[in-house]
Amino acid sequence: MNRPKLCSRRHFLHANGYSLGTLALASLLERDGLLAAPVKPESVTGEIRYDLHPKKPHFEPQAKAMISMFMMGGPSQMDLFDPKPMLTKYDGQKFPGEIKYDNLAQASSKCFGSPWKFAKHGECGMEISELLPNLSKVVDEITLIRSMTSGVSNHAQGLYAMNGGRVTAGRPALGSWLTYGLGSETDELPAYMVLSHPGGLPTFSGEHFTNGWLPSLFQGTLVRAAEPRILNLDPPPSLSGAPQQRQLDLLKAFNEDHLALHPGELDLQARISSYELAAKMQVAAKEALDISKEPEYVKKLYGVDNPITKDYATRCIIARRLVERGVRYVQVLNAGQSWDQHGSLITALPKNCQATDQPSAALLIDLKQRGLLDSTVVHWGGEMGRLPVLQNDAGRDKWGRDHNTYGFSMWMAGGGFKKGYVHGETDEFGHKAVIDEVKHYDYHATLLKTFGLDHTKLTYKRNGLAASLTDNQGAKVVDELLA
Amino acid sequence: MKLTPAVLFCSLAVTVRGAERMLTFEKDVRPIVKAHCTHCHGEEEKPEGGVDLRLRRFMDLKLEGGSHVVVAGKPAQSELVRLIKNGEMPKKGKQVSEKDLAIIEQWIAQGAKTARPEPLALAPGPMISDDDREYWAFQPVKRPAVPLTVDAKKVRTPVDAFLLKSMAEKGLSFAPEADRRTLIRRVSLDLTGLLPTPEEVAAFVNDESPLAYEQLVERLLASKSYGERWARHWLDVVGYADSNGYSEADSVRPQAWRYRDYVIRAMNADKPWDEFIQEQLAGDELAGATHADFQQAVLDPRRTDQLIATAFLRMAPDGTGDALDDAKLAKNQVIAEQMKVTTSSLMAMTVACAQCHDHRYDPITQADYYRLRAVFDPAYNWEAWRAPAQRLYSLYTPEERAKAAEIEVKAKEIEVEARAMSKKFLDEIFEVEIKKVPQAEQAAFRIARDTPVAKQTPEQKTLIKKYPSALATYSLNLYDQKKQDIVDAKMAEATKLRGTKPVEGFVMALTEVKGQVPVTKLFNRGDHDQPKQTLTPGELSVLASPQIEPFKPVPVSSGSSGRRLAYAQWLTSGKHPLTARVLVNRFWMNHMGRGIVNTPGDFGRQGELPTHPEMLDYLSDEFVKSGWKLKSLHRLIMLSNAYRQSSVNDTSMQSDPENRFYARFKLRRIDAETLRDSLLAVTGTLVQASYGPPSGIGRDPQGRVVTGIDKGTITLNKVDPAGADDFRRSIYVQVRRSKPVTVLDTFDAPIMTPNCELRAQTTVAPQSLLLMNDTFVLDSSRRLADRLEVAAPGNRTEQIKRAWELLFGKSATQADVARGIAYLDEQTKALTQYHHDIQHAKGVVPNPPQEAMASLCQILCSSNRFLYVE
Repeated sequence: MNRPKLCSRRHFLHANGYSLGTLALASLLERDGLLAAPVKPESVTGEIRYDLHPKKPHFEPQAKAMISMFMMGGPSQMDLFDPKPMLTKYDGQKFPGEIKYDNLAQASSKCFGSPWKFAKHGECGMEISELLPNLSKVVDEITLIRSMTSGVSNHAQGLYAMNGGRVTAGRPALGSWLTYGLGSETDELPAYMVLSHPGGLPTFSGEHFTNGWLPSLFQGTLVRAAEPRILNLDPPPSLSGAPQQRQLDLLKAFNEDHLALHPGELDLQARISSYELAAKMQVAAKEALDISKEPEYVKKLYGVDNPITKDYATRCIIARRLVERGVRYVQVLNAGQSWDQHGSLITALPKNCQATDQPSAALLIDLKQRGLLDSTVVHWGGEMGRLPVLQNDAGRDKWGRDHNTYGFSMWMAGGGFKKGYVHGETDEFGHKAVIDEVKHYDYHATLLKTFGLDHTKLTYKRNGLAASLTDNQGAKVVDELLA
Repeated sequence: MKLTPAVLFCSLAVTVRGAERMLTFEKDVRPIVKAHCTHCHGEEEKPEGGVDLRLRRFMDLKLEGGSHVVVAGKPAQSELVRLIKNGEMPKKGKQVSEKDLAIIEQWIAQGAKTARPEPLALAPGPMISDDDREYWAFQPVKRPAVPLTVDAKKVRTPVDAFLLKSMAEKGLSFAPEADRRTLIRRVSLDLTGLLPTPEEVAAFVNDESPLAYEQLVERLLASKSYGERWARHWLDVVGYADSNGYSEADSVRPQAWRYRDYVIRAMNADKPWDEFIQEQLAGDELAGATHADFQQAVLDPRRTDQLIATAFLRMAPDGTGDALDDAKLAKNQVIAEQMKVTTSSLMAMTVACAQCHDHRYDPITQADYYRLRAVFDPAYNWEAWRAPAQRLYSLYTPEERAKAAEIEVKAKEIEVEARAMSKKFLDEIFEVEIKKVPQAEQAAFRIARDTPVAKQTPEQKTLIKKYPSALATYSLNLYDQKKQDIVDAKMAEATKLRGTKPVEGFVMALTEVKGQVPVTKLFNRGDHDQPKQTLTPGELSVLASPQIEPFKPVPVSSGSSGRRLAYAQWLTSGKHPLTARVLVNRFWMNHMGRGIVNTPGDFGRQGELPTHPEMLDYLSDEFVKSGWKLKSLHRLIMLSNAYRQSSVNDTSMQSDPENRFYARFKLRRIDAETLRDSLLAVTGTLVQASYGPPSGIGRDPQGRVVTGIDKGTITLNKVDPAGADDFRRSIYVQVRRSKPVTVLDTFDAPIMTPNCELRAQTTVAPQSLLLMNDTFVLDSSRRLADRLEVAAPGNRTEQIKRAWELLFGKSATQADVARGIAYLDEQTKALTQYHHDIQHAKGVVPNPPQEAMASLCQILCSSNRFLYVE
């Protein structure tokens, strides 16, 4: 299935005198008509070659693209998504039960009722905290999972679990698996793009978008946090257009000669591809990353006009523009682990929400009005949640919450996920998932399914074994999450 | 038995299939309960429900309901099995897999045996079991025999024998030796980070000596560039930066470069690594210096290096000299980050994980962490903290200091003179200006002028305001620019004179304050505001086996605690199971493209197992026996067939794409610094000025960080050229954590937060865009074309051939040349047209053929032949 917008962009390129090499043409034909079978590397001469041509999934997909708003640090579920009247009732009293402190501090066993109010919203009546007034208006679009678990204690392992399928480092990120499994719908932009925060990368920086041991073709491309978001998009004037294409043609010829002497070297192949992509990006990326021509009402919808939301709003608009243009997977990242409120929760959490709530809700509205939400999965969540008891009992303004990986919340929308649906429950205090627990790998299995991929079949041969995102951990598709 | 994943996997599989091997608690069951149960049942002060699963005998416990945790021989009656089966346990975390449950059941059915009698008493908390101690990385290095069962003809150094033995099992063998052109390029890039010149290539290709290759390696090992290349590897691991990081300020660390130079010199001198490490950890104690008497020590040439070396322990981000929200946190953060650097670089253990809680995967307790911290605490002493500026020591000699003081006195005299001169001029002007004031007010004005501003009455102020130009007490330039110039010239004399002071250098170092030995406490959750029990310095418990002497500080006459020296001596004693292995593994990785342990910063259970454990031990032992000499190790590796083989081997590529068996040389991209340095070198612009303060950097108007003089402001990016400084090797370019140089950053040079164990190797479109459009590449291409034109004026064929020789160390084929010429023809035509169509600035004379050649050079500089080492 093609998006009409892509075709028009392609004409635009032709009109600008970009001649497409025969190989590129072949890939276009393939994209337009015959789709390759899923992840079967070309092997005409016994040489393995990977590419980013669109791959046919295992079964009919709902989703084609994904935007992940990753909130590193562990957003506090009982203050945002998971109302706990019992916790409020016990506020300041001893927690009546056992707390799994994640083996961190024996911090305190004093209940910390959420300082914020919850109310029912939308037709579905989903309860959301007053910290998220904008999300509250679009709850009828989302699936809220209140029973996520990863079972590992710390940020790094939590990230690896949520992003790489297992608690160990060095594994390919979700976005790499999706681009590996499905290829790209655009040959003008990287299939997998990462939008970083002006304050820097999240902790464990590159691990958020590493291809691990998948071929380097499936790496995430990091976009800078400020203009110019991608450097060096302008060719020198004297070489712009045909002369640069002539350069690239000869470069490719030399590189192909060289590759012929080194059959099977995936990195050499990936670099040849990256020049083809780079050439097209000069026009496409600049256009895609520039939001200046977005209508004012759109900018306002996201909050570009407000200094507090400006950065996140801009990046959410860019994420939408990228998906519109066929990018498979976009990550919108925060800096450090800014949701890690061990202390000063009462002041710090609202700040995080103010910066992100309006833009993320606007993203849903905008995708929907463009008819893209049905085919785009939107994800909002971090690597863990927080405990119902207070940490840092040194005065109200210092109160915080410790890590909790036994029950936390995140939301999904679009791309085949249910609308206005709450899945799972934690106990009365919001400590542990007690009903319909969704383990990180169950989430991955479900996510792959909505992309038409069978998580047991999306494999990569490594050291004689078939490695996968869910990696034989007994993952189950949670069909209740899907419409 | 070799510890390969395959072997481990098989042993488990056999167990699961129910072979009759007798299962034991230690080997089979303990790892399962450790992963799932003992966290609550044994490792906390009070085990949950009184159930402690750390030892087998504790499992005989009778529970409240009357059942037993384990009933030997009867899995069905054992509560352990029942609870796991029902999903009641573990209450959190991952469920026990069916496979593991089967192991537990089988073990109970077999009688729930232990391998050996269990200890009578256990300390509370996590237990470091014999099994933990038996983990491969904690075993002493044991030199294995070099395998003899391999084809001796294929063995040049023992490395080959180990590799051949393992690859034979896979049906693999070495690829043929690479040709000489490939070899010299490979070896030069590896040892010096620079391309061989065409002349060097030709000499090597034509060298008929049977030892030509060996001589090549020797020549390069002896070159100055060797140190500039191999220091870079170590600087990655220690997290070298010229800025403090931590906060947005990221203030500059102007004296760090002396440590960088120390490392380069150490590499070139082949300083033994035991000495090298001791100096870095405890150079101050070796030199007998503490904070108070450091100043004298640093001037003693025999000791300067030792003191400079301690900057190793100052590499972590340190924001304590900048304005901060939470100063206490910042101080402790310096120590925590430095602990990370120290333990990951020298032990390859993720010790830092134990800062807040016991390590989840490796047998490292939180107490261990603080024991180790106690080794370093006397030097940091967070409660009597010294900010970066207070840890600098002047390199002024007494004579230089006296001379500087003398110059300062003279400079001040000149300034006094200049000020007097200015006053005199202004007074003269006043005498003219006062005449413009009405006679009646002149006297009053005169008095008002002579009254200091603070003491002027309101009337006097009003009077002055009434005739402002008559005041003439400042702004001489507004009255008489010429006179101002005379004053300025005088002032400039003072500045100039000050410029003749001897340059004052400083050493950035780590020292202790004599007599200050702070108490180290375990910080609950790593929070310095929650101190718990006091700990004494010591090694990680798992490494402190009875054979090892208990930790004892070395008596140091200077009054320093001697803790770091003791620890450094232990690390480099040759008995430490990790140090030599970790170092050797990294050296191997730098040569071969992957580590024997492919997680060079983590030898723990979350890391990978060594592919060739025997070879790792052999190399480690050899390294120690050879006196910790890196150059000897280079020879052992580089003279092997494994290193000299071709990068092409179809069989190996098919069956072993990750090259775990080394049946081909691993083709890989040159790193960021090599890319930049090589481009400078081939264009003939590389400035080989070694050592000293780093070349500056700044952000250009396009947002790129480039070398030069930063002229940027808050609103404007601007960099001015800095001349020769812009063309130095990358190791001499300032490393600002918040401003990574674009060319380097794009090609995966690390950003030090706090250090880098293993560089990422990315292949992404921004790299291609840089090679297509970045001014650095465009300028380099133009310079290369100019250089070719000088070498063979007007002869395009010769120029193309020369470019291939320069960049690839290879001869261009006729087809390559023909394609190049055809390209030049077309491109010249296009560029001629381009220049015809546009208006040029005055004085710009376009030269389309030369520009076409530059664009061809750019293609070659962007091509995989250039970007990869074969």
